[in-house]
Amino acid sequence: MKGLFAAVLQSRAWRFWLGAAAVLTIAALLQWTDTEPAETQNLTLFAYEADRDPGLDPGNSVWERAQPVQVPLSGQAATYAAGGGSVPVVSVRAVHHKGTLYLRLEWDDPTADTSSYRPEDFADAAAVEFPAQAATTVPSFCMGQPGAGVNIWHWRADSEQVLALPTEHYSNAVVDWYPSTEDLFFTARAAGNPYALNASPVQNLVAQAFGTLTPAAEQSVQGHGVYANGKWQVVFARPFSTSDPELAAFGPGTKTDVAFAVWDGSKGERDGMKSVSQFITLSISGAPLAGGGPEDWPWTVAAIALFLGLSAIGLALGWYGYREARMGR
Amino acid sequence: MATVYNWHLGREMSYPYQNGPGGWQFAAVFNTNRCIACQTCTMACKSTWTFSPGQELMWWNNVETKPYGGYPHNWDVKILELLEKANPGGQVWDATAKSDDAPYGRFEGKTIFEAADGMTQRALGYLPSEEEWKGPNNGEDVATGWSAKGAELPEHAGWFFYLQRICNHCTYPACLAACPRQAIYKRQEDGIVLIDQERCRGYRKCVEACPYKKAMYRPTTRTSEKCIACFPRVEGSDPLTQGEPMETRCMATCVGKIRLQGLVRVDETGRWVEDRQNPIYYLVHVEKVALPLYPQFGTQPNVYYIPPRWVPRAYLRQMFGPGVDHAIERYTNPSRELLAVLQLFRVTQRIIFSYAIEPGPKVGEVRINGTVREIFNDTVIGYGRDGKEIVRVTVEEPIYERPQRKTLNSI
Repeated sequence: MKGLFAAVLQSRAWRFWLGAAAVLTIAALLQWTDTEPAETQNLTLFAYEADRDPGLDPGNSVWERAQPVQVPLSGQAATYAAGGGSVPVVSVRAVHHKGTLYLRLEWDDPTADTSSYRPEDFADAAAVEFPAQAATTVPSFCMGQPGAGVNIWHWRADSEQVLALPTEHYSNAVVDWYPSTEDLFFTARAAGNPYALNASPVQNLVAQAFGTLTPAAEQSVQGHGVYANGKWQVVFARPFSTSDPELAAFGPGTKTDVAFAVWDGSKGERDGMKSVSQFITLSISGAPLAGGGPEDWPWTVAAIALFLGLSAIGLALGWYGYREARMGR
Repeated sequence: MATVYNWHLGREMSYPYQNGPGGWQFAAVFNTNRCIACQTCTMACKSTWTFSPGQELMWWNNVETKPYGGYPHNWDVKILELLEKANPGGQVWDATAKSDDAPYGRFEGKTIFEAADGMTQRALGYLPSEEEWKGPNNGEDVATGWSAKGAELPEHAGWFFYLQRICNHCTYPACLAACPRQAIYKRQEDGIVLIDQERCRGYRKCVEACPYKKAMYRPTTRTSEKCIACFPRVEGSDPLTQGEPMETRCMATCVGKIRLQGLVRVDETGRWVEDRQNPIYYLVHVEKVALPLYPQFGTQPNVYYIPPRWVPRAYLRQMFGPGVDHAIERYTNPSRELLAVLQLFRVTQRIIFSYAIEPGPKVGEVRINGTVREIFNDTVIGYGRDGKEIVRVTVEEPIYERPQRKTLNSI
């Protein structure tokens, strides 16, 4: 047996294949442990079932138990209005509880841009994108295409604020009288524009190409964003099921694609001017979210031990091969 | 990008969309020579459309004093500077290349569409800050200097003039080109450009792109709004005219009688269909006495200005193109027909679709630039869309003497 092993190692071709196998093993292990690989498309975000309702508070302790995935972002250069790219990565966690999917996005932003009041002010924002359940093929992550639409949940920081009148927004503003303050005189409000109605910080939208983004009939997505310590933390929540084929549908044991986008308002980012990811995989597991308690640590220790062990084997094989080659065998 | 014909520039240019099928186009002529900047138009607009919370800094109609005034501050200087930087020394006209298709010659420089990169901007522009939308009357009545010897034509040494501005309802609107959501549209029935208040998401790309800065952001709805050309009046849905098209509020209230608004027929290339007896067509295409504002921007705007005849020509050529000298010559020494058509300004709220002139007797002579001109008291008649007469006015304003009244409150 020892002789066979030595003979295998003496063959250059076998040394190559053994090395490759070691690398693949390590890569598989990284994937299995949710460690970030280089390629976005290979990322998987797992949503396990939480035993408690995380609610819309990004600070809820449930989130500490969910494994974050670091999703790389880049500027949007595919179409007008191009731009963005100021936020390199968004950290995403997912759980579900009693048939509702929760996503939590977190990213660094030195300024909290919560107002869009002045003409030059743009609010920070974030969005999550899924293929529509009616999509027969995987839609382009760039706003989908005809026949393969996308469902977008869009949170904007200004929508967390009340829609103030100028006299409320500016402490020194003086207005004698507004003759009419009915909805009709806030034209966009009368037209049913969601920003003018300010009903929710999150809008549920559908799109089938650039420029086609439209509010969905069903506004079932909730959300809330909190800014603290140079970071935005935003939670999105929506029940699994929907009757609208243009929207995404979820369920335990299912997988779907998901992409993310972040806007930095103080850099004038809005619309296509954003930091955006490609699709990654969202895997909704029926398994319970690990509690973070004592029952969890043996798996973590085993995973780390396996990782270290396989790494050591890989390194040893590499070193052996190098040494053999140096000795001219 | 599509290729479209811009007759203001006398050449084709690139624009994100093809022309529509043609139809009617909202158009107006403003006579800057007559304006006294009373701002009645401004207040008429404000009290009709923009008197609600969030519209405080919004003036769809404004009258600014040139050269120092501007709403928002220095809007035109800023855009001219951006264009000059994008094409240094190249923003010039070939005024010799005139034809029916190119009444002002050929613009050799870059339009705001051609100077933009197409990816971050579809039209070269900038987003004015809140500060810049304040003080809409900054620079009012400020002249360029003091004329110690008094003022003389053709150019005053110290000068200013009033520039009346509304949305130009451009044939090639930059706001429409820039909206990434296609929330802005141009109506075939009258060429009026509108922002869909349901689709707008407040990105302000239109505010950034409109070179005339007539798309404005409203913080209380988080959307942008703009001049709607009083479309219910232009449609004729105001009960006053019983279905007949009526001029906008800013036009109808003009105290100085400087404004005339109408609808002109346009074809599928954006050119005007010949309509010799339409007063707007006559003033713009036959007499060429009224000129577009900053035609070099490339949007083919539809408000035309009779330029002020005392202002240095270089300034006016930059603002109205190379047709300035001809327009001032025409206005200073008007033809018999032009003198009659100029009487149609502000004699009715109804839109005049055509006119006719009945010759009248000679009533006097004037000396203009050394030659004697005869003045005839012709009658000009305006007709509505249905061809029926809506107004009749003579060149010489009639004088009426009121009989003496004995009531105490008679003035």
